[in-house]
Amino acid sequence: MYPITFFIVTTALLFVFGLVALTIKRDLVRLLIGIEILFNAANLFFVALSTQHVGMIDPLPQSIVMMALVLDGTVIAVGLALALNVFKHYKTFDIRKLRRLKW
Amino acid sequence: MVGQAMIQTGLQLPLPLLISLIGAMATPFIGILSERTGMKLKEAWFVLVSAASLGGVYQLYNMVKAAPDGVLLLYSWGQAPPLSGCLEIDMLGVYMSFSIAFLGLLVSIYSISYMEHETRVAEFYTLVTFMIAGMFGIVFAGDLFTLFVFWELMGLSSYVLVSFLKQNWGPIEAGFKYLLMSATAGAFLLLSMALLYGLTGTLNFGMLANSIRGNPLTPWTVLLFSTLIVGFGVKSAIVPMHTWLPDAHPEAPSPISALLSGVVIETGLYGLTRLLFVVFEPSVFKLPIAALAVLTMTVGNLLALLQGDLKRMLAYSSIAQIGYMLVGLSAGTVYGAQGLFLHVFNHSMMKGLAFLAAGSLIHIGNTRNIEDLKGIGRAMPLTTMGLFVSFMGLGGVPATSGFISKFMLFSSAIEVGMTWLTVIGVLNSALSMAYYLRVIKTLISDPIDSMKGLKEAPKLMVAVTVVMTLVVILFGVWPEPAVSFAESAAEALVNGFNAYIGAIIG
Repeated sequence: MYPITFFIVTTALLFVFGLVALTIKRDLVRLLIGIEILFNAANLFFVALSTQHVGMIDPLPQSIVMMALVLDGTVIAVGLALALNVFKHYKTFDIRKLRRLKW
Repeated sequence: MVGQAMIQTGLQLPLPLLISLIGAMATPFIGILSERTGMKLKEAWFVLVSAASLGGVYQLYNMVKAAPDGVLLLYSWGQAPPLSGCLEIDMLGVYMSFSIAFLGLLVSIYSISYMEHETRVAEFYTLVTFMIAGMFGIVFAGDLFTLFVFWELMGLSSYVLVSFLKQNWGPIEAGFKYLLMSATAGAFLLLSMALLYGLTGTLNFGMLANSIRGNPLTPWTVLLFSTLIVGFGVKSAIVPMHTWLPDAHPEAPSPISALLSGVVIETGLYGLTRLLFVVFEPSVFKLPIAALAVLTMTVGNLLALLQGDLKRMLAYSSIAQIGYMLVGLSAGTVYGAQGLFLHVFNHSMMKGLAFLAAGSLIHIGNTRNIEDLKGIGRAMPLTTMGLFVSFMGLGGVPATSGFISKFMLFSSAIEVGMTWLTVIGVLNSALSMAYYLRVIKTLISDPIDSMKGLKEAPKLMVAVTVVMTLVVILFGVWPEPAVSFAESAAEALVNGFNAYIGAIIG
């Protein structure tokens, strides 16, 4: 067993930071970074929990975290590609300008 | 012997998943080949892959039926579950994969004609096949890890498909919003996985069902419940997490709108249903889900009334239909789940038909505005007939398949003593007819000048809509096969737990 409280608090803080970034930031790239923070908070939680159950470090969460890193990397890559296309059409990275679709 | 053993005793995959994964990977090469030879190889390959996955689903159906306890367990490379990731296929998985493969086949035939004049068609086919493969993976998954991987595969392909027509600003804006919201939901899903792992020490559905089910609620399980709702709810467009849908579904190419509305959001709902039934007792999630159901259908229907854009109206109608399906989930009985999954299949046919027929109208009329399409129905009788039948089905008129499943959903709510939910549902259904009939009236009234002298859509597109029209009517007047199939799926979900757990623990 490994003391877990510290990691729970850190995860909660990171999650709050990520959500705050998603709410108040306006730059498309910063929003994507906010998503990255959310993913990594969950990853951190997973790794911390992997010490809790069996007597050793459980390999299952570790492998999930490796996979999740790859997956959120691809999501961010697609997001950046879309952000480039947004820039082509709107000439800005400001999310507030992306409101032509209404209702 | 299940699926194909690619490496002896190694990788085992169920046939539909294998076919669509390999088919998707091969599509770019077939695309190059068909450019070199000038033949329509890639179109043929695309339809062949979709048809073969449907055949694979049939083979899987026979296998699951023949399996002693109705569960197939597939895993790879040495480690046995629960230590490794696995695929666990029961009747529910087969049922969902049938809905996916059937709509996938029809959409693939339609999109050959629809995408004829677009560029980058081979990429389009690749992404569609990957999206279908991702959905197969989700409904076959036997643990959350496998589900998550295929979840992201489906998500990634759908982000790119929504913004596929990147020369316009609309798809790009819609695609970015979709990505932002869905990726955030993906992070929440990962957090809920971590919480589940922390609470139970496993991610396998069979082991999970054996752990915290039935225990009293603690703050951690409440947190788990809410992260699950957010994680799956964004993809399945539950209000208040729906705001990406009315942007993304109209802006995507019409075949993709049909797939997204017809099966992708239902796959999200499948994930939510499976997880809630595995982790919680129905009495725990009854009231929250009922509240979400009321909110979802009311908001969906009210906002659909205000739309002037045909596809946008259909998108809001999809949200309302998700609300009806949630009624069945909140009932938490076999009957409710049966109604839910019957409605998933029927909705995939009806909404798929609606989007494909609307796609034909838009393809010919060149506008999405309902008022500007005034009178186009006279030039395109078959397509408009299809749209009409699908609208009747979505509104729940008897003699269409929508009536049967809505009847089951609403009566399941009465059965568990939630009559108020039924009343709200029926009122919503009546309200929804208002906007459906308005569209039909506009389409068949006197044509305005720009809608004169038009011809019916290309033959292939009309053929697909006619086939789907017939399916909607057929399952309305002869619902027996669909109902019994849905019943065995619901049985497997609600009562088949012991078999499901037993397959893992052995």
